[in-house]
Amino acid sequence: MSEWEPKIVAFLCNWCSYGAADLAGVSRLQYPANIRVIRVPCSGRINPKFILAALRHGADGVWVSGCHPGDCHYIEGNYYARRKFALLKSLLEHTGIDPRRLHFSWISSAEASKFAQVAREVVETVRAAGPSRHFIKTLPQGEAAWGQATAELQAEVV
Amino acid sequence: MLKIFVSKDNLPRLVDRLMADNQVLGPVREGEAYRFRALKEARDLDLNFQNTRLSPKDLMHPQTDPLFAYSLRKDDPEAGILKELPRQTAQRVVLGIRPCDAKAFQLVDVNFVTDTYRDPWWEARRNATVLVGLGCTQPCSTCFCTAVGTGPFDSSALDVLMTEVEGGYLLAAVTEKGEALLQDAPEAQSATGEMAEAAEKIALEAAKKVAKPFVIDPLKDKPQTELFGAEFWEEVQFACINCGTCTYLCPTCWCFDIQDEVQGDRGVRLRLWDACMFPLFTLHGSGHNPRSQKLQRVRQRFMHKFKYYVDKYGDGPACVGCGRCVQYCPVNIDIRRVVAMMSASCVCPT
Amino acid sequence: MHAYTEKIRDAARRLLAEKKVDGVIGFRRGTLPLMNEPVFVRHVDHVDQLIWDGNCGINLANYLTKRKDRVAVVAKGCDSRNIVVHIQENQITRDQLHILGVPCQGMLDRKGILRALNGREPLEVEETDSQVRVSGEGFQEVFARREVLQDNCKICIHRNPVIYDELLGEMVEEPTDVDRYEDVRRLESLSVEERWNHFEELIASCIRCYACRNACPQCYCPTCFVDESRPQWVGKSLDPTDTRTFHLLRAYHMAGRCTDCGACERACPMNIKVRQFTKKLEKDAKELFDYEVGIVLEERPPLDTYRPDDPQDFIK
Repeated sequence: MSEWEPKIVAFLCNWCSYGAADLAGVSRLQYPANIRVIRVPCSGRINPKFILAALRHGADGVWVSGCHPGDCHYIEGNYYARRKFALLKSLLEHTGIDPRRLHFSWISSAEASKFAQVAREVVETVRAAGPSRHFIKTLPQGEAAWGQATAELQAEVV
Repeated sequence: MLKIFVSKDNLPRLVDRLMADNQVLGPVREGEAYRFRALKEARDLDLNFQNTRLSPKDLMHPQTDPLFAYSLRKDDPEAGILKELPRQTAQRVVLGIRPCDAKAFQLVDVNFVTDTYRDPWWEARRNATVLVGLGCTQPCSTCFCTAVGTGPFDSSALDVLMTEVEGGYLLAAVTEKGEALLQDAPEAQSATGEMAEAAEKIALEAAKKVAKPFVIDPLKDKPQTELFGAEFWEEVQFACINCGTCTYLCPTCWCFDIQDEVQGDRGVRLRLWDACMFPLFTLHGSGHNPRSQKLQRVRQRFMHKFKYYVDKYGDGPACVGCGRCVQYCPVNIDIRRVVAMMSASCVCPT
Repeated sequence: MHAYTEKIRDAARRLLAEKKVDGVIGFRRGTLPLMNEPVFVRHVDHVDQLIWDGNCGINLANYLTKRKDRVAVVAKGCDSRNIVVHIQENQITRDQLHILGVPCQGMLDRKGILRALNGREPLEVEETDSQVRVSGEGFQEVFARREVLQDNCKICIHRNPVIYDELLGEMVEEPTDVDRYEDVRRLESLSVEERWNHFEELIASCIRCYACRNACPQCYCPTCFVDESRPQWVGKSLDPTDTRTFHLLRAYHMAGRCTDCGACERACPMNIKVRQFTKKLEKDAKELFDYEVGIVLEERPPLDTYRPDDPQDFIK
């Protein structure tokens, strides 16, 4: 597995963290390419289903980022989100999901360097955790086609 | 038909021999309950049970049954073509199944094996299986098999009927498949007439112990619409929480759903248990749901078993009186009470 | 405790006769020992069906969701807390309800008793304030009542109804020396992998009948996430991944809403201890947001509000 690279799904809020990613890009800041960005209107839009779906579809880590508290475009979306995330992260870890796989951050659209910095941190932490297998489905009936598909999905390096 | 006697000490040897040529399944104790499992060794078999918590229907109709696999890879010339996954063909012996649960297979046969369609998965599993039933000497207080046309020693759906007699088991072949299984058994001795007599007596005693909480005959002549519109459904349905416990534990509930699951560029078509208790079961693509109300769903379950099935197939009812739904319904909706109400609502010819 | 039966009947008779309510939600005697059935009594003539004993563990708040009529409901501590949540979440209004509060001494753990009987079938059960006498063919067992309570009742600290229109008995003493989270802490002390395996084993026998979901008064979404198909969030197979996803999301939906009434565990035909998921959330809600579910009607549930200084150590 020396070629294995972690895959990270990043849910970035439209108004801050996505802007930060943009700015990081136009500023030519370097950060690892292991991140697949999904733009969401607000970190308050994040449903735990999204995070589990990402893991189920082969993500090794999930990163959610929004505006700093007090800066939410919708005034208070990230305040609600913060409470949800606290409980969710704790529940997932309690039931045996490696804490290194779940990351949350507040990054404003001006903080391009923070974005690059956190991206590096997230990627390195997930890399240290190794490939995530817990939520990858393999039918117990072990039909060849299914198992193969999973193996291929895992081996896929982008 | 052939009858043999196997002592308790010799039973594991018989099981061992069967395991050499067959997959052998039997009741295994798991924690506080029993469940049918493929035996890894003869001593896993534990016949000191009243009945398993889950019915053995999953031996014929697994809760998750992958039927086909397919590829969605763009460069695959066979992309999108369903390829059948291997079916059960290895010979299996199910040891210790209760006569009621075996009867359930027979009742479900009419759904999967018809003149116009024969379900290959159900049929393959049925054909590959020999059913060695264990007569039930200690029926539970919730059992009502004799009220629904079967019984604790009903051999009509079995290949072999086992009766616990003094010192061991009397195994009586019921079908040719059963006879073939019992032939040349060095662990056994041929049964004496006395043993057979003792077994018959045990069976009669057992049948007497089973409660008969209702009479179903009047239901046959009752018009469907009258039962359908009966007022008591309102009362019956109140407590129901619409979970699937009754249907999933029931040996005769056969409803299923077909789903495709895709991961990456491969997919599998699965057959999965479904239940009339769930609103999604009847939800149309249009958004309309003919059974959107709890009352409709609750009524469906009882009507299906005790009326529609009987009317459609001239057989049944589609219930074997195992009592699982009675024991495990979280809100104590008791099928015995419901059926008693259904038949009591009949204007019975005197 | 049995004294409530008469009081419930009296209240029901009065309320129905005076046409104060359209019906009374309570329990009637079950057809099995240790089981009662929820019942809706509409008419004075049927009031005598109503009973009360230690087998009324089903949460009656479950039968209030989106009702249009005016009903009386018998409520023990946990039911009353779920009623509070229902009102907070606009599932029913306060003035539709006439709450008959019953201080509770804990409900009997039917499965626990069956387990203790080890295959012997109970045919008759007699219950007093301190004892439960179970008899069947050729046996009789006597249990101390407090030993055979549901797990959640053993650690209950809200036995008295928190909201009611009339109270049908003397308030009982609330235990103060209960450690509600001993089991959660024990799990917390395990390694991540051990915890994963623990929960894997815990739910291994799940048959996805959704009894835990449906027994819960707080599960009332018009379309449950398990039934959503575009996209489909969770597969319907018995694959451990699907089962795990179901249990995680079900539990999470209970975050800041679960009263630990035990309905889910009581309903599970496979005896899965599903409260192990929700109790962690309960503990966190208490520790992080100092919130106890269903106590104060005017308070907003913890995920429906926030404080600017909520903990955020985990956020970069």
